[in-house]
Amino acid sequence: MLSRSAERLYWLARYLERTENTAKLVSVHMNLLMDLPKGVEMGWQQLVRINGSEQAFYENHKVVSERNVTRFLLTDADNFGSLFASLSAARENIRTTRELLPDEAWQQVNEMYLYAKDNLEVVGNRRSRVLFLNEILKGCQRFTGLLSGYMSHHHPYRFIRLGRNLERADMTSRILDLASLLLSESRSDELRQYETILWMNILTALNALLMYRQHVRSRVQGDDVLDFLLLDKNLPRSIGRCLSEMTDCIVQLPNHNGLPEKLAELAAYVEAIDTQQTTQAQLRVILDDLQNKLGALHQEIADNWFLRVEVN
Amino acid sequence: MTSIWENYKTDVAYDELMYSEFQPRPVSHGLCQYLNSLKKADMDKRKLAAELAIMEMGITFTVYSDEGNIDRAWPFDIIPRIMDAREWRVIEQGLKQRLTALNCFISDVYDQQQFIKEGKIPSETINSSKNFRKECIGMKPKHNVWANICGTDLVRDKDGIMYVLEDNLRVPSGVSYMLENRVITKRVFPELLQDIDILPIDDYPTQLQDMLSSIAQNPNGKPLIAVLTPGIYNSAYFEHAYLAQQMGAQLVEGNDLVVKQDDCVYMRTIEGLEKVDVIYRRIDDDFLDPEVFRKDSALGVPGLMRAWKAGNVALANAPGAGVADDKVVYAYVPEMIRYYLNEEPILPNVPTYLCSNPEHLDYVLEHLAELVVKPANESGGYGMLVGPHSSAKQVNAFRKVIKADPRNYIGQPTLSISTAPTLCKGKLEPRHIDLRPFILQGENTFVTAGGLTRVALKKGSLVVNSSQGGGSKDTWIINTEIS
Repeated sequence: MLSRSAERLYWLARYLERTENTAKLVSVHMNLLMDLPKGVEMGWQQLVRINGSEQAFYENHKVVSERNVTRFLLTDADNFGSLFASLSAARENIRTTRELLPDEAWQQVNEMYLYAKDNLEVVGNRRSRVLFLNEILKGCQRFTGLLSGYMSHHHPYRFIRLGRNLERADMTSRILDLASLLLSESRSDELRQYETILWMNILTALNALLMYRQHVRSRVQGDDVLDFLLLDKNLPRSIGRCLSEMTDCIVQLPNHNGLPEKLAELAAYVEAIDTQQTTQAQLRVILDDLQNKLGALHQEIADNWFLRVEVN
Repeated sequence: MTSIWENYKTDVAYDELMYSEFQPRPVSHGLCQYLNSLKKADMDKRKLAAELAIMEMGITFTVYSDEGNIDRAWPFDIIPRIMDAREWRVIEQGLKQRLTALNCFISDVYDQQQFIKEGKIPSETINSSKNFRKECIGMKPKHNVWANICGTDLVRDKDGIMYVLEDNLRVPSGVSYMLENRVITKRVFPELLQDIDILPIDDYPTQLQDMLSSIAQNPNGKPLIAVLTPGIYNSAYFEHAYLAQQMGAQLVEGNDLVVKQDDCVYMRTIEGLEKVDVIYRRIDDDFLDPEVFRKDSALGVPGLMRAWKAGNVALANAPGAGVADDKVVYAYVPEMIRYYLNEEPILPNVPTYLCSNPEHLDYVLEHLAELVVKPANESGGYGMLVGPHSSAKQVNAFRKVIKADPRNYIGQPTLSISTAPTLCKGKLEPRHIDLRPFILQGENTFVTAGGLTRVALKKGSLVVNSSQGGGSKDTWIINTEIS
């Protein structure tokens, strides 16, 4: 398998995962706002914050409004992290690797891209936005499903899984980062009243609410949710699970020099996080650190497989 | 109710489907009956369905413009072009004969040059050909075949005879569109395809793979085949990716490949370097290897020619094969067929005046207003003069151009190329078409059943190139004999 193709498939998966995550996040946030009273500090600005794109947002917008934030996150082609920018980048990557994938894979991404392109204007309207986000989520799921059912689970597939899980772990850590804010002592009494709803929405954003109920079997509360999303071995979007998926891919890829050890270190680091004993401030530092470690892991993957081999 | 055929004109040129507005040719009887049974709204729906399929399948070609490169949807006309299998079989033989002779000629040019020595063609014509590559002298590609993939353009004149317009022996494109056109037609007219006996075309990728394997040093050792593309900005990138995918071959760009000291070609993979046995290259000779040809080429692979000459990698088409893809050399193909094969040509050439010949040059200059004049080495329909469609000023300007470089120009009578019904705003109108069959030659020779029919979508236009307002049609070779 060509190094160039490996790199493009890895990025294809990352961009599609990002597309899906953004759609899910906006969708869950809309739901949450319908449940919360007006004026609570859980506004649209939190979404910009999760993506770490405050600076980019304030360069072009003065007001944090539903309209500005949804446009910025969904359709703004200038915002590198927007849903449409991610989807366009995914399409460019699959366009140059379609010879490695089943026919339907390219058509699926292309159709989704064309759909998004034709519907960029409608996201201003709440009702059409809901429909739009649902279509995108379905499209991403179809893609994942058809690869799993139609494609040999060999090296190209492993690079796709690798990219998907790295992006997923990164997103989960960002959402937890936001969640840790909610634990802060400075939160208003009003917000305290709605805590359970907040935690439930965080679980929903990661498709984890039902699994939480089945496995944790306690009422939804902060510490348990954090533990579950950090450490659960079976939940697809928990950090622990993403790391073990990545390990699984990496050990089967050729020349994985030193990478399984790096991943084991990272897993140990996550397991050592004691959510009962850490303060909210400590937790934020830990999660920041975790994001940096994921960034470093990406760099190692790139250095190992994507950079061109020198000859002679 | 007005008919979709109303005022259909068949007096401009030979029409492939119709004798007249009211009478279809026998071969198109089934299709016409079916089309007449459709309501106008139905027809529009089918057209829309085709356009949607093209968008979703992402069948595009790239157009270069000031605002950047735009991927345009492939313009497709849903009305197929039809030919009787009995006529096609003769054409198929003619195409095989022609490519066989052309390959004999190319082998000869890079070897003993008997054809030249016996005065069949002036040595000047070869030596001055832009695509004659001295570097290839003495090479012996497998099966003595240099042009493994050929796209030959055919047109039918008013007299009903099919003429060969040109042989594309460098990097002919269009075959993926031929294949996708059939996929779309199957979606749009499923009921129709079941009732008519149309020759299938979808074995092309398999045939291409077989041919490419047959030119490997060791054809039985599961040779690793790569399609070498200039990259995503090339207008035919869609086709490169499509063919690689269909063959299960690797799609590579120049910088994915490297030639080592052992003169073998390797690709850079996640497992290190892996040896490549056959390269279907979609890059012109000029850009293939900066060590030998253009030094500034960033698309090619340094050392590729070394590896090829050492016999460590097969290249299709072989470098230098373009020497026979020259509109002056074209004029000598009938003679090649007689000389190398001792046969009479099955398919005629269009009469051609060579401006390098003083008598011909005089004739061309005198009759410029009636002739088509083309440069010897351009493709894509660029840099040519269509006399009857040009102003006196344009004709005079071109006169100077020819006089300055007579070797580079040929003149041909302006053909009245045939038409086929094309859907234009809900009505059928005749539009000019040509036909590009694809011929593969390695250990065996294979011809696609039909080929890519290109259509000039603008009324009266004779230019079928997609870069200049052309579109395409599905091509049906129909078996009319009862089996």
